[in-house]
Amino acid sequence: MDYIISIIPQMLMGTVDTLRLFFVTIIMSIPLGVLLALGRVSSFRWLRTLLSGYVWLLRGTPLMLQLLFVYYGLPFIPVVGVRLDDFPAAILAFVLNYAAYFCEIFRAGIQSIPKGQYEAAHTLGMDYVQTMRRVILPQVFKVILPPVSNETITLVKDTSLIYVLAMNDLLRTTRNLVQRDFNIMPFMVAAVFYLVMTLVLTYMFNRIEKNFSRYD
Amino acid sequence: MYKIEAHNIVKNFEELEVLKGINMNVSEGEVVAVIGPSGSGKSTFLRCLNKLETINGGKIVIDGEVLADTNAAGEVVYAPMKESTRIACKMGMVFQQFNLFPHMTVLENLIEAPVHVQKRPAAEVIKEAETLLDKVGLLEKRNVYPRRLSGGQQQRVAIARALAMKPDMMLFDEPTSSLDPELTGEVLKTMRNLAEEKMTMVVVTHEMGFAREVAKRVMFMADGIVQEEGTPEEIFEHPKNERLQAFLNTILK
Repeated sequence: MDYIISIIPQMLMGTVDTLRLFFVTIIMSIPLGVLLALGRVSSFRWLRTLLSGYVWLLRGTPLMLQLLFVYYGLPFIPVVGVRLDDFPAAILAFVLNYAAYFCEIFRAGIQSIPKGQYEAAHTLGMDYVQTMRRVILPQVFKVILPPVSNETITLVKDTSLIYVLAMNDLLRTTRNLVQRDFNIMPFMVAAVFYLVMTLVLTYMFNRIEKNFSRYD
Repeated sequence: MYKIEAHNIVKNFEELEVLKGINMNVSEGEVVAVIGPSGSGKSTFLRCLNKLETINGGKIVIDGEVLADTNAAGEVVYAPMKESTRIACKMGMVFQQFNLFPHMTVLENLIEAPVHVQKRPAAEVIKEAETLLDKVGLLEKRNVYPRRLSGGQQQRVAIARALAMKPDMMLFDEPTSSLDPELTGEVLKTMRNLAEEKMTMVVVTHEMGFAREVAKRVMFMADGIVQEEGTPEEIFEHPKNERLQAFLNTILK
């Protein structure tokens, strides 16, 4: 027990890095995903093709590979090549990757709304932005809550991939402790930490779903 | 001057010609019923009037303003986006599937467009909306979500929602076709009241009773053309067109 208490401060430090990556990714990738989804259902053929290529690329390759590419590979690309610090590199990779997944979730959500909703909005004089913002997207958010919740919980665990960039997130801190102390207890504690984070998220999403179910 | 003028409307879906030159003029306060077998193009024609479908030929004039016209080269030219939306919005529309916004209460459905599109003051709009709800007999449902209402109630809310925009004319696209028989009466009664208030109405319907009693003029469409047009008496008592005679025989049996 004393041992567990002794390692908790370090593990909390690691959790801070994990949570920072988590929150920044969520806050940036969901709006980006909405925009990409609107492009995916737009009437511009070239844009739809471009975005489906983007989604294919980002979903079709491992996040780990993308992470390594942004950190180690990007500096070698002419013109756009920049060397990013580990945290910005991680953010860039995670946001681009998760936006692709969110794009697909939102696209499916938008396409699940009956055509009659657009027609009613049209006959009431609403333009595209009003129709989307006031009629379609509020209904989409309700439909996509379960898959978004799923994706968000996956993200909590995917943050551990930044381990390969030598950032001291929860997982790397844990492994350092295990190697230093020859004790597997940190693994158990890390598991509890991840479980608590996903539990909080599960609870939050249940609350939101309940709130949205008022008009059923 | 006519409230709605449609000249020689042509509409194709891909290779299929659905409307083969439809003409219709509707005067102020007139109720026109459009009847015909399914697939005759009557709903499509109605949807062309307010730009839910774009036409491939012909001319549409609403309340003296040109919504769409065909130029010398045979291309259809619509009024600019903002203009055409404004012109189309002179007509309220009621759909077969109601199409209420499920995430808004009954009252929110009514005030949405008057407040956010017409930018009228909310307090005034709410008062008018409540008057309209009272008129369709649903004032006590003002804070209920549409899914809690019966089909007939939803359709009456949809009518009130269209009226909240203060339209000059109303288009009805088979307003009772997805209702249980015992619920059509309440919707038809609401429409009848509207007709008595001299609202200009075009009603695509399978309700022959309504067409006969409320409409001033009946248009029978089949195969994308108007086969016969006349007063309810002419259409229902003395049909001349063979298609119309056959149609009446099948549905009035």
